Amino acid sequence: MSENAKAAHITDALEARGVSRRSFMKLCAGIAAAAGLSASAAPRVAVALDKKYQDLLGADGDSGPLFPVLWIEGASCTGCTESFAQIETPDAGRVVLELISLNYSDVLCAGAGHSLEAAKEATIENTNYIVVYEGGITQGFESNTLRVAMETGEEILVHAAEKAKAVVALGSCAVNGGWMAAAPNAANATGVQDILKKHGIATPVVNVPGCPANPEWLMAILVQVLMMGGDKALVEGDVKAVVKLLDLNDEGKPQGIFGQTIHDNCERRGHFENGEFVYEFGSKEEELGYCLYPLGCKGPQTKSNCGVVMWNNRRSWCIQAGSPCLGCCEANPNDPGDNWVEVNTPFYERHRDLHIGDWFFQPTLVAGGLTALVAAALVIHGFGMKATGRMDGGADFEKRRAWDAKHPEKSIGQYEYSIFENNDPVALHEAQKEIAKQYEEPVAEEAAGEEEGR
Amino acid sequence: MPFVVTHWINLVSMIFLIISGFVIHFPVPGIMGVCRGLHIFFGFVLFINCLVRVIMSFFVKSAPTGGTRKQVKDFRTWLPQKDNRHQGLSWIKYYLFLKKDHPLSAKLGVPQKISYLLIPILIVLMFITGICLWVPTMNWPFCQWVTGLLGGLMSVRIIHYFGMFVFIIFMFIHVYLANVEGFEPTKLMFFRKEHGGLVYDPDKHVIVGDDTLKPRNE
Repeated sequence: MSENAKAAHITDALEARGVSRRSFMKLCAGIAAAAGLSASAAPRVAVALDKKYQDLLGADGDSGPLFPVLWIEGASCTGCTESFAQIETPDAGRVVLELISLNYSDVLCAGAGHSLEAAKEATIENTNYIVVYEGGITQGFESNTLRVAMETGEEILVHAAEKAKAVVALGSCAVNGGWMAAAPNAANATGVQDILKKHGIATPVVNVPGCPANPEWLMAILVQVLMMGGDKALVEGDVKAVVKLLDLNDEGKPQGIFGQTIHDNCERRGHFENGEFVYEFGSKEEELGYCLYPLGCKGPQTKSNCGVVMWNNRRSWCIQAGSPCLGCCEANPNDPGDNWVEVNTPFYERHRDLHIGDWFFQPTLVAGGLTALVAAALVIHGFGMKATGRMDGGADFEKRRAWDAKHPEKSIGQYEYSIFENNDPVALHEAQKEIAKQYEEPVAEEAAGEEEGR
Repeated sequence: MPFVVTHWINLVSMIFLIISGFVIHFPVPGIMGVCRGLHIFFGFVLFINCLVRVIMSFFVKSAPTGGTRKQVKDFRTWLPQKDNRHQGLSWIKYYLFLKKDHPLSAKLGVPQKISYLLIPILIVLMFITGICLWVPTMNWPFCQWVTGLLGGLMSVRIIHYFGMFVFIIFMFIHVYLANVEGFEPTKLMFFRKEHGGLVYDPDKHVIVGDDTLKPRNE
């Protein structure tokens, strides 16, 4: 950093490294977009980055204190780390060296073994730090399915999270178990928030689902928290300020990133509205880039800004590449059942499979089957009606209720005027007169109706 | 008369909702936009109509049973009446051909009452799951709460889907039972054409005979 130490502004420092102002502003716009801000917020991001840069330089031009981060692997495939390692806006190296102080990461750190564990311990004991936790936590088999440096995954998380200022649960596995918690989930995996609740740890959790999580989402969170005033709030333990800064929803996800569906921002949305669909892979429609909805695209029910931020440094994203959305961002930290692998398989069907025991089926089968069964039953019933001669006005009314016949002392009906009971024209005439009386005094009738109508 | 109108609205919006719902689930080329528009529009129509119908039942009067000129507040004919007592089993037996004669009852028999009371609940359920799935309302705190309660948007979608089949099954049974013994109930419900039948006093439970709608010569 020596050749940049005297640079007054971040742009000068970047230019010295061959990064033009133009690409810096593009980066700022990208960060703004990733943070869910409009492109017009780019100058604000630039100012914030510049200010932070000057703060970091310090009065004597030395690097100021960077916020320590522990990146801990749980039961993960390391996909989120892989994804993060590909980031170019800025690249992972710059993030690790200049934005944060990555004191621990089994994948990215140069150190290994005992010294790395010691560095982690020193960070936990001596600094304000945040934890990025990747992967699920397996509780089954006494948590023995994952051990690092003799400790189980659960112990590692609990130990690190207790004193952390915040935990970023990175990837769907860390949010609520993801693949790790999908059926049959023999290892009883779950997400970070669940484990912290279990151990009564109040450290705030920022949930960033995705399989893998888009690196720019983590970038956006780090920039917002560490560069736009969140670091102070974190150190002071002002959780409310952090929640407000990141605009976290009740699932602990940044609303700016996970507030709208894929469908809302999909580049193929026009084809959806026009009713232009791909019904099978390899078809003419697929070639034309039509909407993938009939192939089980989960875009309409998956909340994420993939279509805006895109992937692999904005080169493409799932739907641009021709794959229906698999809904990998569906992960509710408060509900282990709302796990994207569980609710979104089979991937190419519109609905998830339901199951009764080991019998798996699509909802259409049961719903359609039941409807057909009822229709068939009604047809058969119709033949019965015909056979019993009820088609023409139904069967004759019962002359006396079956219950009344059995319980004459508690009879609901009164049968003294009934033509069925007493086929006598004089009695019938009496009855008609009796009933007609009620209609002569409408007010009294209404009162009677109110009370006795029930 | 008001109930003839609400019944027509129910019929038309349910038909449109079911057809457009099927197209939304099993997309047909070309008409997705139209069907989504119709689905949302008639969803609101059906829900508002349901509210209006329920509120009206507290103000508008109707006959408590066939065969009388007497009228009571309509909601009383929906809730259990004295007339319905001990008749539930009789109705089931009658429908299953285990009972030969037609049970006496109020305007609505026991199974009919149960199903008609469930329909407004189903309409409300469909409306709520519908707005949980509709983008402009899905982020409302209430909708998010319901979505969380039901286990995510996929569950909401499936419940909404099953709900449609409940409507279809109800309509099958309803249309069948209303017409299998003759078309008089349909003519009354859609065209307000009265029909005769058993003359029957709802308060005294006195059965006085058959009304043929012919002028009576006293």
